This record gives sequence, structure tokens and C-alpha cells, in this order.
Amino acid sequence: MFTLPQKEFRMTTACPGSDSIQDLPSNKGDGLERECSRKPDQKLLKFYGVGDPAAELSSSSPYLSSRGSVIKWFWDSAEEGYRTYHMDEYDEDKNPSGIINLGTSENKLCFDLLSRRLSQSDMLQVEPALLQYPDWRGHLFLREEVARFLSFYCRSPAPLKPENVVVLNGCASLFSALATVLCEAGEAFLIPAPYYGAITQHVYLYGNVRLVCVYLDSEVTGLETRPFQLTVEKLEMALQGANSEGVKVKGLILINPQNPLGDIYSPGELQEYLEFAKRHELHVMVDEVYMLSVFEESAGYRSVLSLERLPDPQRTHVMWATSKDFGMSGLRFGTLYTENRAVATAVASLCRYHGLSGLVQYQMAQLLRDHDWINQVYLPENHARLKAAHTYVSEDLRALGIPFVSRGAGFFIWVDLRKYLPEATFEEEVLLWRRFLENKVLLSFGKAFECKEPGWFRLVFSDKTHRLHLGEWSRLLTAPFSPPSCFWPHWGPSSLSWLVRTHPASVLTLTCPFPPPRDAEGPTGA
Amino acid sequence: TSGPSDTPHTPCVQMRDQALRYRSIHTQLMEMVLTLQQTVEDHIMQLTTRPQQRDLALEEQWHGQAIREQEALLGRLLFQIVSFLPAGAPGDQSVQPPCTSTDSRGDVGGGQPVQANRQTGQMLYQESDFENTVISYDLSNRGIDISALYHLSFRDYDTYQGNKYHKDKNTLGYINLGTSENKLCTDLLAERLSQSDMTYVDEDLLQYTDWRGQPFLRKEVARFLTFYCKTPKPLDPENVVILNGCSAVFSALAMVLCDPGEAFLVPTPAYGGFAFSTHLYAKVKLVPVHLESQVTEANGYPFQLTVDKLEHTLLRAKIEGKKVRGLVLINPQNPLGDVYSQDSMMEYLEFAKKYNLHVIVDEMYMLSVFDEAITFHSVLSMKSLPDPNKTHVIWGASKDFCISGFRFGALYTHNREVASAMSCFGYLHSISGIAQYKLRQLLQDREWIDNIYLPSYHFRLQEAHRYVTRKLKASKVPFLNRGSGLYVWINLKQYLDPCTFEEELLLHRRFLDHKLILSPGKTFMCKEPGWFRLVFAARPHLLRNAMRRFQQVLVEQAQERTVKQLEDAMKEEVSTPQPEAPASPALRKS
Repeated sequence: MFTLPQKEFRMTTACPGSDSIQDLPSNKGDGLERECSRKPDQKLLKFYGVGDPAAELSSSSPYLSSRGSVIKWFWDSAEEGYRTYHMDEYDEDKNPSGIINLGTSENKLCFDLLSRRLSQSDMLQVEPALLQYPDWRGHLFLREEVARFLSFYCRSPAPLKPENVVVLNGCASLFSALATVLCEAGEAFLIPAPYYGAITQHVYLYGNVRLVCVYLDSEVTGLETRPFQLTVEKLEMALQGANSEGVKVKGLILINPQNPLGDIYSPGELQEYLEFAKRHELHVMVDEVYMLSVFEESAGYRSVLSLERLPDPQRTHVMWATSKDFGMSGLRFGTLYTENRAVATAVASLCRYHGLSGLVQYQMAQLLRDHDWINQVYLPENHARLKAAHTYVSEDLRALGIPFVSRGAGFFIWVDLRKYLPEATFEEEVLLWRRFLENKVLLSFGKAFECKEPGWFRLVFSDKTHRLHLGEWSRLLTAPFSPPSCFWPHWGPSSLSWLVRTHPASVLTLTCPFPPPRDAEGPTGA
Repeated sequence: TSGPSDTPHTPCVQMRDQALRYRSIHTQLMEMVLTLQQTVEDHIMQLTTRPQQRDLALEEQWHGQAIREQEALLGRLLFQIVSFLPAGAPGDQSVQPPCTSTDSRGDVGGGQPVQANRQTGQMLYQESDFENTVISYDLSNRGIDISALYHLSFRDYDTYQGNKYHKDKNTLGYINLGTSENKLCTDLLAERLSQSDMTYVDEDLLQYTDWRGQPFLRKEVARFLTFYCKTPKPLDPENVVILNGCSAVFSALAMVLCDPGEAFLVPTPAYGGFAFSTHLYAKVKLVPVHLESQVTEANGYPFQLTVDKLEHTLLRAKIEGKKVRGLVLINPQNPLGDVYSQDSMMEYLEFAKKYNLHVIVDEMYMLSVFDEAITFHSVLSMKSLPDPNKTHVIWGASKDFCISGFRFGALYTHNREVASAMSCFGYLHSISGIAQYKLRQLLQDREWIDNIYLPSYHFRLQEAHRYVTRKLKASKVPFLNRGSGLYVWINLKQYLDPCTFEEELLLHRRFLDHKLILSPGKTFMCKEPGWFRLVFAARPHLLRNAMRRFQQVLVEQAQERTVKQLEDAMKEEVSTPQPEAPASPALRKS
């Protein structure tokens, strides 16, 4: 999915109750306003940030409500890169000079396997009952299958129960529903950043819930063992910071395997985070949408559902979907597993708005039931292809001398392009991102993940190898910063548009670094 | 936790009462507690006074036990309510819903609400005997509100889901003529959807796509509506937004057109799902424009919508300080089955323009007009709309094509700003690419639609309608005879004594006791008690069974009424009032 570019980087110190687009119950509002007068501890500010999605909006519409205007702004800004891409999509045959999308986290490696499986005759059943209103939690046959599937693949100590399963049309909806039933308007979830930026929108659109970033550092300090490591200390500080601003935090979102870092939490770490949440009576939403996309077995991934004893099972809610692990983001299937009946019921109450077609539910049940195919055909092949693509890209990056973070899970590499920014600002980061786009490569920049250090990019490698060729990157990355002086006398933030306006031809000659695609080779050619 | 909802006074059930509905959950619960207390108090009073009059030792003992049971019941009901109460902010004990604890027997008769804070609630939880009661401090207030509202409103539906009638496997199961679901043509649809052109799997279908809906489907929807709505000009696919169902479309529209607390006008009786779709997420109010069954000078027919009424309601709402942003029209109407004439529609639209209101026209049933004498005119067929930028049309395939489980709803609006803002909700209300493909295949097969599907569908609707209305006439049940929709709006006032919403609910329960689900008028925000919506879009064998159950209930209800009238008459003769023990079904049910 394409993530949301934010226009500017800001550490909000303003009163969090200031957005007027949802009415807070008066008793809650009073509490917030009282707290607002307190100054946040300046020392803490670099460790956390309270998001305020409404703050970017400048104009409103005569037709839309004020929240409608914010929502429209979301749409317009999020679509910038995506729209550019869609107007000029790369295609081997039809548009070989089109934009290659390395920004959207989709697995395009296994379509052949999936389309064959989904075309088999067991998928084609059309029962009248599938055409009628369902149980809004999801058809029982599917919830049973999900429980069985998760018991097996998450290695849960005891079989999981179908009544703890709620099925919806994707994890976006699940974030929306959970935010609404766990938080009041204006309350917040903690989330370690960088994180999959679309969550901001998912919890905000309906729920008016905000995210408090727990900023992680690329620098390894103290007892840490790896870059961007999440520690309980950081969680504590972010929570304390949010509290000091009067922001009420209701939960913690963990993405494991992490997006965009590809990081994997060890069972010990997971336990620590869960204990932290329990101490502060926080809900924990564990997004395990990449759980079967761990292609390095040595990474030792463990689902939270595999833990022998959850510190606070009533406040631990697990999310999974087929979008990533089965390369079917367009199928819209997501599921919640929670032992908390009240939460399951409340989420199910909203499922009227997040239902998925009965026919698709049937197909999902068939797919998840077929452990033979999953274990013997799909997963081995998918992991092999992911690993090969990963190797291919990481070798290219190494050859280019570009540092990156990657731990053998997910579809992406977190690439460090800081040294290519003339100044360490997010403006420069966006400029570099545009430069890539103009060179027909769509990446996602770090700001879209609320990364606090400018210069990081997410590169999605789960695509056919010939699209992944990075050989020309060095020219692209270095060219603007040692330009011939006759062309770019004053290179700066505004120069790019000036350049395009005044020297279209020179831009063209400079910006065709990609050779015609090589013939399909490597793992996908097989 | 069915206890609280069994009391007809429960504010949550009073969908009609806007003022109550949108108060905070605390206020609603407070009302629930007070109402329950009052109800049970009255009953205890009755029980405690009777032995004194009769002075029989045995009777006294019996009543003593009954009183204790009453108190236990009271405690249980109140406790269940308390269990709905959310955890407030830590240290914030300003919200103190009144509640009576199980051990406060002495206070029960006092009629004074006992102030108890949240800690009392927790203490109750720990000390209570009712340990199996679900209690949660995990949800937000709105989460509890959503859960409670859903539970109270869809209890019947959930019951039905768990115990459906089946002609071979479960003949004693529930027959659902309450949910407006088209079951007449599932065979045709299942067959069509099984054909080989439906089973295509393409890479694009499995990946992220345009969140407004796949371009091929938006194009097809535009073409489809152009044809079936008879639009003067071809509709533009760019004006189409596709989400997973019309409820979702409505919910998202409420978000982008209104801020929390603002309102839509809606002529009632109207489809009750609107109340959810506007309230659950969006917290938008509905201001009902109450229509009346009685035909007056201004009204040519029962429940007629007039601009006078719209204007009157709007102005009154304004005086009350409500901010009305739009008008919701359903055409063909649900539950009345009315089809608006072009002239009437134009009047409503002009009214909306005059007051700068958005108009949302729900044309869900546009292909379900089965009376050939009636012509449906889509608002999209108008040569010139008074305010095209504020006219938004909703259509979905759930009703017209028997595929409510497909989850498909479309918005057509000329307003690009609205369309853009709506598109954002594509993330949260998206449809599977595979389903989108099948829908396109279905909608583009005009030959099948025009030559096979629609003729059979309309024929079956006519047959079912004829059968049901014949039965209704035989039972002397008045109804509105309109030629559209999947339902008839029937009048059972004569079976209510007195004619109140409490009695309407009791009659509804009696239907449930006979495993028949109908929708009582109150769920449509109807102002007059006694109306029910009966959905007839079911296959003949189901319908025959359902009507048998229906008639049985009416016979029982009539008998009971006669007995009651006789007893009342006797009571008057004796002149000393003797309360009837079995005449309190609300308690019996609990």
C-alpha cells in the first residue's frame, strides 16, 4: 500500500483537544483541557511525538463537513505518488519506460501459484447461503478454519477458538473498528516509529484516534543490539511524555514482523512489551500480517499467540490477513483474534460496515484449509522467491555502498540514503523521493513512516527481478549533488521544478538511468 | 444480558426518541436503571399489599418468596446494567450513575436512586453471585454504546442466524420475514454466478487497486445506471464510488457531509438501518419527518410525504438548535413501498435546494417495482436537477439482485469533492477484487438481466405478493397495497389493547414465540403503534409456513384480548380491583 506523505515534520506541543472535528463528551473534554496547560517535558520530546492529522488542513469546502474536509485532504495528499504511478505504470510489454513501483508493499512473486490454486474447482462453489446476509462476525465455517489455521501456523499452546475470531475486509477496517471501540475520540495508541503509516489514517478516519510515536534510533546505544531497537525504556518515556501532555493513551500497537524495518521481536522482548502494557493497563494490538513472510528461518519468529502465558490475555488482540502472506492485498480478508468477548462483540457490531462477500469467505476457507498445498507448494516456493529477490537487491545495495536494515522478514528493505541528502531535512528527503519518481521509481520515504531521521526509504523487493535492478542508482543518487554548474547554479529545494520548466531536454538525458528491462531471470524465471 | 432490553421502556430501544438516543451512554443507563427500578418497585408494591388484604398464611409465604425473587431479579437486572458502565478516567469519579446494589433491599421501595460510583460497581462485580455476567471495562464509552445498540437491535436477527428454518432439517426454526432480504431468486443467481465467465482470476484482482472501486466496475456501474435509470446523458464513471454495501456508503456519507451532532431529515416510517449507519461511527442524528396513516386534505394517500411536513419539521428542528445538513429519501420507499412521482420528487428537491440541504436518494429497490401499472423514475432520469452538487444517489445489488451477502453498494454524485472524500473510505469499506469482477460480469449481462432475471424476479414477486395479501385480506388485516419492494406494511392496531408501543413489542414477542420474525413499526421510527413490515420475498413453502404461524398468532392474540376484555368487565362488576398475575408478560419473559 502506498503510505501517506506528511507535508511537514512537526512535534506537536499544542493542546491535543484543539481539533474540533469530533465532539468530546464534556466530562472527557474537561479533563483534557485541564491537562493541556501543563508543558511537556522538553527532554522527552525527542523520544515521542503526538500525531495530529487535522493540523495539516488549510481550506474547507462548502459541500463537506469539517471532518469531511480533513478526510478529503487525506485522500488528495496520499494519492500524489500513487496517482502519478497509475498514470504511467510500468509494463514489460506495453509501457517499458513506465514507473516501477517499489513503494507499495505487495508480494508479486507468487501470483502464478495463487491463480492456479484459486482457479481449482473447489473454489467455485456458489451456495445460496453465501449470497445472503451472513453472521456479521464472518461465516462460522470460515471462523472455524481461521482458528485452526492460526492454531497451527502460530503454534498456539492450546487450540484457538472460532468464537474468538472476527472476520473483516482487511486489517485497515480492523484498526478502524478497534480504535473506535477501545478509545474515545481524541485518545491515542502508542506505536513504535518508523511504522506502516497508513495506520494513522485507519484509526483516525472514523475513530478520531491519534498515534503517539515511540521514536526509535538508527544509532545503537547502551544495551541495544541492533538499530531501531524497541526498548521498554522508550515505551515508558513515550507514555510518560504523552501523559504529561494530557493525552490519554489506551493501547500499544506492535507490528511483528515489523513494517518497514523487517524487524522481528524475540519472545523475550515481546514478553517485556506485553508486561509494560499490562503495568499501564494498555491494550496491545499485535499486527502479525507478515508472520508467514519470514524467509530467513534463523530469524526465529514467534507469534504472540505461541506464548505459553500472555501477561494480559484480555487486552491482547492479534491481527492477521491474507494480504501479505498470501499476496492477495486486493482480496480484502483480515481477521481479529481476541479472548476478550466484549471487544470481539463490539468489533463485530461494526462488521456490518466491514463485511466481505460470502463467496470470497468460502474461497478463503478453502485456501486456509489446504495445509498440504500451503506447506508443500506455496510456502517453500514463496520463501525461496522472497529470499532470492532479497539477496538480489541487497547485493546491489552493498555494491552501491548503500547501508540498509533488514532481518529476513517482510517484503522490504529499510534503506539508509542519509548521506545523499545535502541537508538532513525532510524537505530534502521529499526532493530525493521526487527525483526517484521522475526517474520512474516509486519508493516510500521515511517521513511517511514517521521516521524521525530524514533520509531513510523503504524499498519493496517482492517483485520480479528485472524490475529490481538498482545498477543505475549510483548515478541517480550522486548526480544532483555534483551537477555541472552551467545547468544547476543554485541547486536547492525549488530547483527541481525550475529544472523541469527550463531544461526539459537535459532532464530527460540525465534521468533515464534504467536500461531496458533484462530478460526475466533468477528465481521468477523458473 | 437480555434482561435490560426486555423492558419496553428501555431508552436504547426507543429508536424513535431522538433526544434519548443521542445522549451519552451514562444518561441512557441512568434512564434504564430508573425505569427498571420503577417497574419492579410497582410490582413489589402489588405483591406486598395483597397478602394484607387476604390475610392467608400460605399466601403470605408464597408472596414473600415472590418478593425475594423480585428483588433478586431487580438486583440482577441492575447489575447487568452496571456491567455496561465503562471505566471512567482514572481518578475521575465525577460520573456517578445511580444504581441500586443487590444488598440494598431496604432502598428498593424508597424510590430514591442510590448514588454509587464506579468503585461500587467494581465491588459489586467482586462480591456478586452473578459471576457469569459479562463485564467489561475494556471498551470505550462509544464502544459500549455500539455494542449495546447493536445487540438490542439485532437480537432477533442473531437468534434467527442461530436457528434458521429449514424445510427438511429444521422445521421448527425461525422464519425471518423481518429482514428485508430477497430470497426469491437465489437459484437464478447461484446458477448465473456459477457460469464459467465468473471464475476469472487476474493479478490485478488480487492486488491493491483504486480505492474507489476497480475502474472496470465503476465503468460498468455507470453504464448500468445510465440504462436502468434512463438518464438523459451517459453517467460518468468518475462520479461513481464503490464500497462494500449501502450501509457503508451511508456511513461514509454521514461522515463527509456532517459533523458529529448534526442531522439529516428523514421521512418516517423509514428503514431503521439508517439510524445505525449514521449513529454507530458518524454520530449523526436523524430528525424524523413523521408521516401519518390518516388521510387528510393535504394528504392524498396514507403516509404521504408533503413539502409542508418537511418544512415544518425542518423549522422546528432549527428552533431546537439542531443543525440539519441533508434530507434522506428512499425511493421506492422502505417500508411503505411508495414510489414517488416525478413531480413530488421535484418538489422535495426544490425544498432541499431552498434550505441548502444535501439530498441522499436511496434507490435500493429501483428494479423491485413489480406492479406494471407503476413507473419508477430515478432521480438520475431528471433533465435538470435543482442542485446537482448536493444530490447523491445510492444503489446496491443486495435487494434487486438477491445478493445481500455480496456486499456491494455504489454512490453516484456529481460532486467531485464528495466523491474524493468518500474515496478515502475505500480503505475501510473495500470489496474483494474477485467479487468486483463477478459483479461486473453480472451487471454487464443485459441479455440475462432483461430476458431471464428481471421477468422471473418480477413474476415471483407478484406471486408472493398476491399470496400474502390474499392471506392478509382473509385475516382482515389492513395493509398498504403498493406495487414495489419486498414487503407489505401491515396494520395490526386492532390486536393491540391498549394501542401502545409496549403492546406492539409484546405482539412482536408473540410472533417470536411462534418462531416468526416480523419488524415492528417502531424500528422504522413510525409514530403510530401497531404497524409491522412483513417481507414476502421468500419461496412459496416458506411463505405458506410463515403465514400459518402469522395467523395462529393473530388468533391467539385475539382470544387473549377477548379474555382480557371479559375479565375487565367482570372486575368492573365486582368493583374491587384484583390484579391479574399472568398479565405481566414483561416479567414473565425475564
